[in-house]
Amino acid sequence: MPDTAVLTGIVMGAGAVLLSMAGNPVHSGICISCFLENLAGALQFHDNLRMSYVRPELPGFLLGSFFMAVRTRRFQVTGGSSPLIRFFLGFFMIVGCAVFIGCPVKLLLRLAGGDLTGIAALAGLVFGISLAGRYIRQGVRFEPEQKIAAINGSIMPILALVLLIFLLLRPAVVHMGMNGPAAAHAPVMLSLCLGLLIGSMAQRSGFCITGGLRNYFLFREKTLLYGVAACFLAALIVSLCTGRFTPGLYGQPASHLQHGWTFLAMTLVGLAAVLVDGCPFRQVIKAGQGDVDAAVTCFGMLTGGALVINWQIRATSAGVGFNGRIAVLTGLIFCLVVVLFFRRNNTHNTAQESGDRKGA
Amino acid sequence: MNKKSVLLDRVTWGVLIVLVICTTSMLLQKQFFSRNSGLEQAKKPQGKNYQQIISRNSTIYQQVFTLHGRRKFSLAMEKLRAIQKSHPNNPLSLVFQAQLEYGLGNLIPALHSYRQAVDLEPDYVDKNTPLFIGNSIMALINEAKTILGRERRLKPDDTRIKLAIEEARYLQRRIAGGCE
Repeated sequence: MPDTAVLTGIVMGAGAVLLSMAGNPVHSGICISCFLENLAGALQFHDNLRMSYVRPELPGFLLGSFFMAVRTRRFQVTGGSSPLIRFFLGFFMIVGCAVFIGCPVKLLLRLAGGDLTGIAALAGLVFGISLAGRYIRQGVRFEPEQKIAAINGSIMPILALVLLIFLLLRPAVVHMGMNGPAAAHAPVMLSLCLGLLIGSMAQRSGFCITGGLRNYFLFREKTLLYGVAACFLAALIVSLCTGRFTPGLYGQPASHLQHGWTFLAMTLVGLAAVLVDGCPFRQVIKAGQGDVDAAVTCFGMLTGGALVINWQIRATSAGVGFNGRIAVLTGLIFCLVVVLFFRRNNTHNTAQESGDRKGA
Repeated sequence: MNKKSVLLDRVTWGVLIVLVICTTSMLLQKQFFSRNSGLEQAKKPQGKNYQQIISRNSTIYQQVFTLHGRRKFSLAMEKLRAIQKSHPNNPLSLVFQAQLEYGLGNLIPALHSYRQAVDLEPDYVDKNTPLFIGNSIMALINEAKTILGRERRLKPDDTRIKLAIEEARYLQRRIAGGCE
């Protein structure tokens, strides 16, 4: 029997390509950053109607994770670990994703679809994760989370339900675009069911793109990495079988040729994702299982989803604009300042503790 | 718990239930029974009337279309210039301009005009809309690739050719779709 991480990877990779075939944009069967940009538009946090839609996959992931966590008694409400820093790291993760045009899941899907511009992104992601791994080895970690009141953990599942109600009833406050990527979507029931399935499996397995690479760099532990590989292979096989594999560097959907910025953007994503303990997809799953810190990160990501469009940070097929470049550099500066602070702080605390012990 | 706090709890529960009932009924009334329901409001500003756009444009550009069909490209271009003055922001002008430039053998300006048209009206490369003209743009790109590739080998430092190749690739990426 294969590991649950591998099974999750297979369902996710194959499911994402199927969602694309059923109507989601090309290579965006599952993309947390695109979905959050769409959600931000639907909630009128930005005014680009072409990017405004409540993707049912998102509440599906949250609720799937929630139900699985409750069923397996792993629903634990925790929080209080540097929430504001996590908010901004979530924000900058989406900045990095927007400059690459896709989250780490979409990176795998783009590569599986033959998009060779993803190679620079993969190199950047791996570099960012390995860099963060070194910092973690040298003692950089946020303060441990604590158990907090259970009501905190119920807010995200309730919000997921509200989003589903918004999707079904479409009240005036919710804007849904009727052309562009907003109009490109799979049937609601299919998206929701796949979202629930993938969400529940990911909760059980701890599936995470950056987590898989981080565990390998830090502990040479390969379970999650096999899941990531399974996700890529499943997407590749389905792409090949359905004639959706078009290898090349040019003419790839929603891509650009500024590989240096792609590398830096995904370095930012890798670095920030390891610091907050999970890629954007994992943050959504953790938010569903009661992790309030991950929920705060999700709100940072949603804010990012709005501002990358409002502030024209998001790259387009024409390339990365000035604002996008500055935002990526600012994100890297933020991550490094956080790392330096926690490294100094933790070193200081450790020295103080050993001093106390000697004194005693 | 003393009597006062029990009373406070009961009052809080009572108010909470009343608030939930009021909010739900107000929402339901607005959603399902009001004439100006949320659903209608949401749809109004977001739908694009493609039929209206197409019929209006067919009236404006009828002469240009006819002349283009008869391969009288220079004359069609003159008519188009006049229309561009009276309808300055219509992206269809740029599409016709691209087709006429192509007809006149000016490949690079044709690519540039298509790019401007797509930037102004993204629906031209959206397969889900009736305005989609991706296939005709793709035909031009395929031809341009061969010609521009050959030109680039002959004149490797010509920035005009480099830019044209970039524009062709940009158009190709836009036609491929994706979340943009």
